[in-house]
Amino acid sequence: MSNAKLGLLVLWPAFWTGFPLKMVAAFLMLAAGVHPWEGVGLEALLVLSIPIDIWALSLCSRTVFLERLSVDPPKGTGLRLWGLWALFSVVYLPLLFMIVSGIKSLAQSAVHATLHFVESNVIVIPIAEKISLELVMWGLPATIVLIVLVYGWLFGLGALAQRFVRASAPVEGSFQDIVSKWDLLRIPRDQPLLLTAFTGTGVVLIMLFWGLIPVSTPHPHDEYEFVDVQKVEKKVVPKKVIKSAEQVLARAEATLKELEKDKPVEDSVKGEKAEAAAEKPAAQAAPAAAEKPAATSASDGPDHDHGDHTH
Amino acid sequence: MSDHTPNAFEKVVDFVDERVGLKTIQAKMLNEPVPGGSRWAYAFGSCLLFIFVMQVVTGILLMFYYVPSTDHAYASTQYIIHEVDYGWFLLSYHFWGSSAMVVMVFAHMSQVFLWGAYKKPRELIWLVGLALFGLVMAFGFTGYLLPWDQRAYWATVVGVEIMDKTPLIGDFLSRFLKGGPTPGQMTLSRFFVIHVMVLPAGLMGLAGLHLFLFRKAGPAGPFRGTPEQIKAKTDYFFPRQIWKDIVAMATVFLIICSLAFIEPVVLLEEATPDPGDYHPEPEWYFLFLFQLLRLKIFGGEFGQFLGAVAIPGAFMGLLAALPFLDRNSERNIFKRPIALISWIAIMAMILIFTVSAILNREFLD
Repeated sequence: MSNAKLGLLVLWPAFWTGFPLKMVAAFLMLAAGVHPWEGVGLEALLVLSIPIDIWALSLCSRTVFLERLSVDPPKGTGLRLWGLWALFSVVYLPLLFMIVSGIKSLAQSAVHATLHFVESNVIVIPIAEKISLELVMWGLPATIVLIVLVYGWLFGLGALAQRFVRASAPVEGSFQDIVSKWDLLRIPRDQPLLLTAFTGTGVVLIMLFWGLIPVSTPHPHDEYEFVDVQKVEKKVVPKKVIKSAEQVLARAEATLKELEKDKPVEDSVKGEKAEAAAEKPAAQAAPAAAEKPAATSASDGPDHDHGDHTH
Repeated sequence: MSDHTPNAFEKVVDFVDERVGLKTIQAKMLNEPVPGGSRWAYAFGSCLLFIFVMQVVTGILLMFYYVPSTDHAYASTQYIIHEVDYGWFLLSYHFWGSSAMVVMVFAHMSQVFLWGAYKKPRELIWLVGLALFGLVMAFGFTGYLLPWDQRAYWATVVGVEIMDKTPLIGDFLSRFLKGGPTPGQMTLSRFFVIHVMVLPAGLMGLAGLHLFLFRKAGPAGPFRGTPEQIKAKTDYFFPRQIWKDIVAMATVFLIICSLAFIEPVVLLEEATPDPGDYHPEPEWYFLFLFQLLRLKIFGGEFGQFLGAVAIPGAFMGLLAALPFLDRNSERNIFKRPIALISWIAIMAMILIFTVSAILNREFLD
């Protein structure tokens, strides 16, 4: 098996095996208000990752060795492999980052200069086309370099793992025998027991999570400041309400009487005068309707922003 | 004869088993053979189901407070964020869950395509999967309007305008969805009903059919190796695939939760027919198409029709016809160069134009 393939075969499942456990820790930190990407949170997460990675690497390297290479790795392979891989990656990955960043900056400057020359001397490129063209022109060399360097990293990891392959003892038996034997060593045969254990762990974590999470929004977003508007509670005095209702009714009654008085006069007016009177309210209503939404939204604006509504 | 006396729990299990066939269901679910052994790549389908269930749960909880009217949609969303216990988290989870569903659908479809798992006898699974893809997109589109802020309103305006360009049914579709000349109460009501009733019913039905067809045809297995080699490596669903599925689902759950914490839902101003300083944009997974339409080649009425409707429509049609066009039984992706190059080209195109759309924002500001 090639070095790069062996490196990938061990690294990929080991990453996915350890990742959820690290995520659980990071997530519980988030719920408790500690940022896992800075300060104490990051340090705690990195320290916690070490035993998780050693365990994941032990488990996955043994699985790959047994099932793909039919060899049984010596005891302590996971720990020693982790040590070697960590040392190698500490040197290689910062180098990879520096090289890719350098290539990216170089390619961006070259592309920028080229396009500037083209635009000054040949043709003006529209904005949308220019953005995508620039992206492809500097992204392509940077991606190729990144892929080559990642391949080199996997090759290095595989080369370090090969020494453990050579030190391993061959295993007799078919693939099915090896798989069954390996499964029996790790996994309880009782399916409901295993599933119950998983569910139990999930329940404990969920309870821990809901215990830590803030009940109301913690406003973690800088652009999203909540303005706590004091809600004005109107006191209801029944006598006042009845009095004002009576006043409204009295006014309505008076208006109705006035309208009834005017009616015969309006009926007697005929011809052009009547048509003009009918058109007048419609003409007045049109600009009023056009102005209404603007006025409404202006008056409603601040209330809506603060969610000051009755529920 | 065994001396074992069943305890209370075992008695309850036996009681249910006698009436429901619990142990038979368990055996059928967990002891399903997986040709060629378990794979991380097979976890996408289970993850999709898990995300959907979580969307249903969080969606129901949000519906307890959300009011689908133009007068109260924005205010009730604000209320969910600020007043309801854990409301901010549920809403943010639901928001990021929808994006996770789109990502997972892409991953699942890519895996099926690259593994050649759409080929005979799995054509119908592929077709139903495509319909499910359409439903997931429709979920995202209809759900986006519900908070009734500027982003929601203008994403809908852009989406409906694109839909309007469809020949024959475009005009009807846009009028049906909007319910009037501009998005308003009728639009919100219709989007809400489609989002919480029509689409979930459709998705549950089609997902059931998808699973039934999958169980009928059985897993396709790896694309490399002779039938004898694949058979020799055949594994059962329990414990390895179950473990991989659980790990993948836990990872997806934790990523969505973390995103909800790191980037909780932020509402813009309440929706108005005046965009003001806001530059209308669709959801991030439609950004590539939006950016594509900014290119000169897609300018003008015909260009917009070509970029927004004709090309995406033809692409979907090609995907639907794929199992019937590609009748070669070869499944190994490294022996199907056209398929591999097409997939890489499409992914690169989506990536380039999505990033371009993000870079384009600074020119608009």
